[in-house]
Amino acid sequence: MVEFKNITYNYSSKSGIYNIDLNIQDDEFCFLVGPTGSGKSTLLKLLYFDLFPDKGKVNVLGYSSSKIKNRDIHRARKKIGVIFQDYKLLKQRTVYENIALPLHINGVGRKKISNLVNEALELTELSRYSKKFPNQLSGGEQQRVCIARAIVKNPDIILADEPTGNLDPTAGHRILRILEQINKEGTCVIMATHNYKLIAEKSYRVIELDQGRMVSE
Amino acid sequence: MIDKVAFLFAEGLKSFLRNKLTNFLCIITILINFTILGTFFIAGFNTDSLINFFRSKYTFEVFLQEKVDLDQSNAIIKQLESNPVISSIVLIDKDKSADIFLEEFGEDVVDMLGYNPLPMSLKVSLEKSNFDLNKIELLISEIEKYDFVDSIEYRGVYIDNIEDKINLFIFFFLILVIAIVFISIQMISNTVKLSMSNRSDFIEILQYNGASNMFIKIPFFIESILQSIIGSLIAFLLVNYSFIVINSYFNLNIQIDNFLWVWMIGLSLIIGIYASNKAMKRILL
Repeated sequence: MVEFKNITYNYSSKSGIYNIDLNIQDDEFCFLVGPTGSGKSTLLKLLYFDLFPDKGKVNVLGYSSSKIKNRDIHRARKKIGVIFQDYKLLKQRTVYENIALPLHINGVGRKKISNLVNEALELTELSRYSKKFPNQLSGGEQQRVCIARAIVKNPDIILADEPTGNLDPTAGHRILRILEQINKEGTCVIMATHNYKLIAEKSYRVIELDQGRMVSE
Repeated sequence: MIDKVAFLFAEGLKSFLRNKLTNFLCIITILINFTILGTFFIAGFNTDSLINFFRSKYTFEVFLQEKVDLDQSNAIIKQLESNPVISSIVLIDKDKSADIFLEEFGEDVVDMLGYNPLPMSLKVSLEKSNFDLNKIELLISEIEKYDFVDSIEYRGVYIDNIEDKINLFIFFFLILVIAIVFISIQMISNTVKLSMSNRSDFIEILQYNGASNMFIKIPFFIESILQSIIGSLIAFLLVNYSFIVINSYFNLNIQIDNFLWVWMIGLSLIIGIYASNKAMKRILL
């Protein structure tokens, strides 16, 4: 499903990721860990074709970084749900509208949108906030809206870039629980984090990066 | 599909209502540009009838020599009438010439001199549809060579001058049209760029969620289309009613093209769509 073949990406001569080889399976849950600047976000950006490698090849869901055309990137992204540390929610729209956005993009009908958004709201325990605006919610609640938006379109992969980075431990654990539940339903989840405590008790695959290189797996 | 179209249309409309100031400024620019354009369009539309008016007045007069009698002059008329440049020829005999003299100077030339010295002449009117000044001048120079011709009086040079001035006006009008179109494109394009940079977060979120470039563009197109329609419609109403008022106030007969609204709104739509596409192309790769 996800394959990194000898990937190198340079931001500058001193930062980037170097010679990464990696395979992640369809229903896997894996953590990308490492300190700030280790290359976790870069790896995720390469997965949703926000960046393209200088060397090597990334294959995701049948799309290859060496072959994909600009006009086809959106097709790949329709199958990928992305969760951001800074949530990236639309402040002038309600929780419901934010979550419904990917479904409008996919051309889903209004009735079906309502059903799917309500399901996502239930899963993320946000049903009572559906008419609220993001700035009326706490950080943890906003992150759950972001998760709901990522899962509502039933993606094949969820990429979570430091989803607990701005949250207290309780909210962080709650987010992790939701992601685990999504994974149990068969969706591949790749979560970047530098919160070692959060993942310490978990038995999932951990890929460790440091200064752009894979140091352990 | 219908839901998607409805969503995109609603997005465009929401964005239009949200960015009130930028949209207002853009509409004002389109309004000013298209008011000028519409006014010049009407002026241009009327230059054609002005040229036709001058051409319809374009005649020349051939004064015949004393020795030419009525039969000879009728034969000359027949000969000249076969020329496709000429629409009609009126013979002004000596009596008619005396009448014209009396009308213009209030004196009877026969009473004054005891005889009629005025020559016979031919008033030649020209075909409007085949009007070509070069052909006419060629014809005049040919007629001048005939031995029955005393002299020819024509005002072709003046009309030529007027037509030159009208053509110069049309040339400047075209330059102005190009300038206005260019300014409009720049203004709309800058407004779209501004609108897009204000909503860069929204665009980024759409892109990360799998929106195609066309999906992102459509609401901005709708915004530009609304700006164009509103700006040019107000400009049309302003120009149209201004000329109606001018016509009735000054008792003029300035013609207003029935399809002026189609030209103005159509052109502004083309400009709006082109300009917004141009702006978006640079931002959405």
